[in-house]
Amino acid sequence: MAYREKLAWLTLGLMLVAYTIYFAFVGPAVGFGQERLMDVIWSFGWVAAGHGLAALLGFAILFFASGREGRGKPDERDRAIQRRGATAGYGVLLTGMILVGVAMPFSEPPWKIVNTALLAIVVAEVIKDVVVLVSYRRGWSG
Amino acid sequence: MSWFWSAIAEAGVAKRLGNVIRALRFHAGEMTQGELGDRIGVTRQTVAAIEQGRYAPTLETAFRIADVFGKRLDEVFSWREEGAD
Repeated sequence: MAYREKLAWLTLGLMLVAYTIYFAFVGPAVGFGQERLMDVIWSFGWVAAGHGLAALLGFAILFFASGREGRGKPDERDRAIQRRGATAGYGVLLTGMILVGVAMPFSEPPWKIVNTALLAIVVAEVIKDVVVLVSYRRGWSG
Repeated sequence: MSWFWSAIAEAGVAKRLGNVIRALRFHAGEMTQGELGDRIGVTRQTVAAIEQGRYAPTLETAFRIADVFGKRLDEVFSWREEGAD
């Protein structure tokens, strides 16, 4: 398996674990900030910080375990796959931002807007990683 | 109207970029995918994907591959019908 494919698996795995923890456990525990919006910032902030640390550690381990390949620059296929993934993720992110920035302010309370925005970011990243992985596995990268 | 039916027939045939890189590597002292990758500036996995038709290389990389084996581009790559080898 290519080094950058392993990176994509790691990124996807960490995203799913970290934000499942937030949206399934930590978020509900603080009522998704219905009482105090700062609860969202703190709880999401801790989850994001944990995610960031785990990602740093995972990337470092992969980098050193992959040797010469890990130190090499991405080649043209890696870049083509990244572009495809970023395009897919951007589409999802744009849709989410239109929803939370244009539609929801007229009808929804702030805590819902904030959490939906966070969810849109997470979903966009997950879609990006899935497209990247499918491209590596099935050769959907021409 | 024959042009019309020719166009319809052609549109129904799926084509893909084929290549003979594996054979060329074999005849070049059993060059590995990694060695070829190093010489053209891509990873071993990308060479494997190109060989298997799962990735269509850029024109520049295609020329680099042909150059490694001292061949013309059309001696390495071909535009062929799906399943034809």
